[in-house]
Amino acid sequence: MPGTVASLDPNPPTLPLSDAAIPGDLFARMRRDNLARWPTGARVDVEEAAAFHKTLPAHKRLPAVLRRAVAEGRCLTQPRGGFATLAMQTELMRTLDRDGMADIVPTTTDSYTRNEQFVQAQRGVEESERLGRSMLNGFPLVNYGVDACRALIAGIEKPAIVLSGTAMPKLTAEIGYAGGYTGYLGSGIAYTVSYTKETTIEEGIRNYQYVDRLAALYQEHGVELHRRQPGFLTGTIIPPSIAIMTCVLDLLLAARQGVRHYGLELGQCLHLVQDAAAIRACRELCQEYLARFGYTDVFTPVTSLHWMGAWPADEAQAAALIGYGGTLAAVGGASSVTTKSTHEAIGIPTPQANAEGLRTTRMAIHVSYGVRLDGLPAHEFEVDLIKREVRAVVDRVLEMGDGDVAVGTVRAFAAGVMDIPWSPNRQVKSRVLPARDADGCIRILDAGDMPIPRDVMEIHEEKLRRRAERERVPFDHQLAVGSVYELSEPLSRLMPAMVA
Amino acid sequence: MTGRTLVTGVIGSDTHIVGNRILTMALEAAGYRVVSLGALTPAEEFVRAAIETAADAILVSSLYGQGELDCRGFRDRCVEAGIGDILLYVGGNLVVGKQPWPEVEKRFTDMGFDRAFPPGTRTDEVIDILARDFGARAEPVRSAS
Repeated sequence: MPGTVASLDPNPPTLPLSDAAIPGDLFARMRRDNLARWPTGARVDVEEAAAFHKTLPAHKRLPAVLRRAVAEGRCLTQPRGGFATLAMQTELMRTLDRDGMADIVPTTTDSYTRNEQFVQAQRGVEESERLGRSMLNGFPLVNYGVDACRALIAGIEKPAIVLSGTAMPKLTAEIGYAGGYTGYLGSGIAYTVSYTKETTIEEGIRNYQYVDRLAALYQEHGVELHRRQPGFLTGTIIPPSIAIMTCVLDLLLAARQGVRHYGLELGQCLHLVQDAAAIRACRELCQEYLARFGYTDVFTPVTSLHWMGAWPADEAQAAALIGYGGTLAAVGGASSVTTKSTHEAIGIPTPQANAEGLRTTRMAIHVSYGVRLDGLPAHEFEVDLIKREVRAVVDRVLEMGDGDVAVGTVRAFAAGVMDIPWSPNRQVKSRVLPARDADGCIRILDAGDMPIPRDVMEIHEEKLRRRAERERVPFDHQLAVGSVYELSEPLSRLMPAMVA
Repeated sequence: MTGRTLVTGVIGSDTHIVGNRILTMALEAAGYRVVSLGALTPAEEFVRAAIETAADAILVSSLYGQGELDCRGFRDRCVEAGIGDILLYVGGNLVVGKQPWPEVEKRFTDMGFDRAFPPGTRTDEVIDILARDFGARAEPVRSAS
């Protein structure tokens, strides 16, 4: 592909795939080769960067801020955002920090950077400067390098996180962490199955083992960094259990590399009870599996994400999803919420619209604090259902790998035991099909080859059949397709006025 | 069957596959033969596939905002490859930020796309317009390979 950085790695990983921590000497070699792939890599020096991190005050360090939020029972807010040039990005981050009151400030990378097409990213920067508007959908962090990142960090009074939806994170993570970002979003399973077509699951896992090992290297230098798993997956009608399966597996892979501060992200289903159940089940299942592997010291905050599917074009309708999303996160007990804006249907928001989304969410959180659903029968029912689904599949994945998480994951995807709805990746069967039921919960219409227990599937089917009957449509795959764009429909279709 | 062949895909470094997959299903249901290239498809791959399958139209999706860069020179590529008269559609979230649709549409028709579709366009609408455009061209149906 033109503009793609050629793999210069003269020592491709020689060890067979496993979940074991990358040995120090091999990792040093891998880092040297990785950093040589683009000129800005030469500036990265972990010792120097660790010293820089130690100069940051606690309120600009994401691991400390998240620990405090959990201790105080707060739900933090974080948007997404990235533009093509340093000037635009500086302004954006300041606006989100000050006008939006963001608790965590993001830097989203552009899609060329995510695909390691740094030559094309450079052209995007130049075109953006020429035209005076951003021609890239994010900040080309690798092209700009470590010192530009530190300038961005200096411009805000909050911790910052790198958001780079990619299966090829090795340079963005090196530059981002060295640049003073204290969080990095991405994982080997979730992003490979959601953001790539040809990348193998093994390659994705290996790439993120590098990032996790890097975070552990900073830990060895006395600097705690936040890693985070994007369990929202393809963002398209994801049943909570499937998200959490990937959370658990990616988490175990990270823990094996030495990560001790690992967040999990769940996209909202937009059902108050199901979303709260998902957040609790995720938290408990993560710790349950960590304990099984002997880990008792991994901090696992859960983040709730505003609706990740198709959004309504009407800004009034979008505003309802934003406010409700703040409530879902707060009531569910999430440690933070990742926000969207009323511009979501048309693409990337202006800084002002982005800041408004943050404030709408913040107000909703404020008025929702103190409400909890734990103990309600409907809530306990959903928690139990999710846990049964997750355990059935994850246990099977671990069996398939003879206890090795990495090997089991690769084999499970090949067999369809692990499966992801609407995946663009050729290695994912994508036979599993979810749909929204009559009550508004996301259910599994067809489990494909996933070993979901029969009695659990009967519950899903019964609930989806009720919807088909109510709407007088056949009980078939069209229910799944219909669910994809449902919430982007105008109100005149979703909830027509009553007529005499 | 219409006897017509269409090429679909998501251009550039964009992975938003869901809408494109649903569009492909709808086009197949409407009787078209669809060559579906999926996500992350370079411009040259669209053109190559169109030549190899003697396609009658190329439908390009872009959802991530960088479509404006990815789609530049698309018609020129077709001309150079000898399929300069092929029907070209583009649709999705085509630019970064909220910009007036008529300006965005003009930018893409100036690039040589026969039509540009805004976010939220329904599959039925695309199918209606395709039929009309093929009718207006009144070309004989190419032999399906």
